[in-house]
Formats: sequence, structure tokens, C-alpha cells
Amino acid sequence: MSELAHTNHTEKKDFLVRSSSLKDVRSFCREVFEKLHIDQNLKDELVLAIAEAAQNIVKHAYKDSPDTEDKMVVQISCKDNKLQIGFYDMGTPVDPGKVKHREIDNIKPGGLGTFFIQQIMDAVEFKDGKKPWINHLVLTKQL
Amino acid sequence: MSYKVTEEGNIATVHLDGEIDMDVTEKAKEVIFPHIDAGKEVHLNLSNVQYMDSSGISVLIESHQKALEKNTKVIIKEVSKSVLKVIMMAKLEQILNLE
Repeated sequence: MSELAHTNHTEKKDFLVRSSSLKDVRSFCREVFEKLHIDQNLKDELVLAIAEAAQNIVKHAYKDSPDTEDKMVVQISCKDNKLQIGFYDMGTPVDPGKVKHREIDNIKPGGLGTFFIQQIMDAVEFKDGKKPWINHLVLTKQL
Repeated sequence: MSYKVTEEGNIATVHLDGEIDMDVTEKAKEVIFPHIDAGKEVHLNLSNVQYMDSSGISVLIESHQKALEKNTKVIIKEVSKSVLKVIMMAKLEQILNLE
């Protein structure tokens, strides 16, 4: 971690809920983390966690609406050395109790995204989405 | 994602290039799986892949398992440091054939 990572900063951006938006989500995150002077190693991990969360919105919250024109919002805030990433979407309500990764020793395709998020972040919290949002996910990481 | 395939004898070498995420996994499967189905040994060169997410890891697992079914193997070659880190996070470094 760089000393400059303490800088307080907030940025948000919306993206069409499509798998083709994931590269734009990553680009946005990389730009913000560049401004926050977060080191490459941590930056790679955070970008992965954020992209996995965005992917979950596309894959699960909009499972039945692949051609939606809805947008999701990703907000990155850094305050007092704590990074908070918010995700807002208007898809199918997420039941937090059902968000589980597969057993890591049960080798099969799928079920790793949530595991990666939990490995990388300090906290994963589903909050009540305030209108117009349905889902509001917050990931936090102490820098 | 772009790719290049070279074949020599029973070995198909697939070079993937770019970032492997959910958006390109179907394309990656379309490139890799026919060689496995044909019983070829697949060398998957990832030297130009700097980012891979859980969807990309799923392609590696599926390729590996498909190869076992076909009595052949997929060897992952020249994996970049950043992708190796994701493979290790998934605890797959002892499962997949890495060279």
C-alpha cells in the first residue's frame, strides 16, 4: 500500500447490465485505483472482486433479462483509509442467504466468483436498495 | 480476446490473447473444446492473458475435465503472474497441469 492511498475520494459510474460492460467496469476501477495510488497487487485483487460482483448482477440478478437496457451503478469511495465499493441494480431481488460459493475442494466449473470476493474483501453486505434500486451490495476493504 | 492455434502431430497449441471474462468464455470454449473432442493434447498458452476471472477459471476446469474424459490432457503454459494468482486463489495449482 502506498501512503497516498489515504486520499479521500469518491467516484461512481453506470454501466449497461451486459457481460460486454465488464471490461468497462474494470477500466473504471483501474482508473480510480490509479488515482488512489493503490499498489498493483492490491489493485489486481480489487478489480477482480469488483468485476466478479458486477458479473453476478449480469448473471444472476438479470438472469431472465439478458437484453435489458437497465444500468447498474458502481461507486468507489475511499475515506479514512477504508475502501467501500457500492453496487446498485434494479434486477431480481437477491436473497443474501442464498449467495454461497461452492465447496472449494469440489472441483467443478462455476461458483467461484463469490469465493473470490470473500477472499479479497474484508466485508460483503447486502443492504436494502432504496428506490429506484432493488439491490445494493457493499464491499469494504481496509487499506 | 483473440487467439491463434497451431497444430503439430497430436498436439494443438492454443494461444489466447487478452482478458478472459464472462463475455468471451463461449468463444474460448469454441476454440479449445473441438481439439479436446478430437483427442488432441492441448497446450494452452496464456502468456498474453493478463486478466482472468472466475468464468475463465471455469473454462480451464471444464477443459481439464473434458480432456480427462477423452483420455488426453490440457497443459497450461506460460501463465502470467496475475493469472497464476487467480488459479492459486481457486486452489487449482495442483489440479490443473501447469508448466
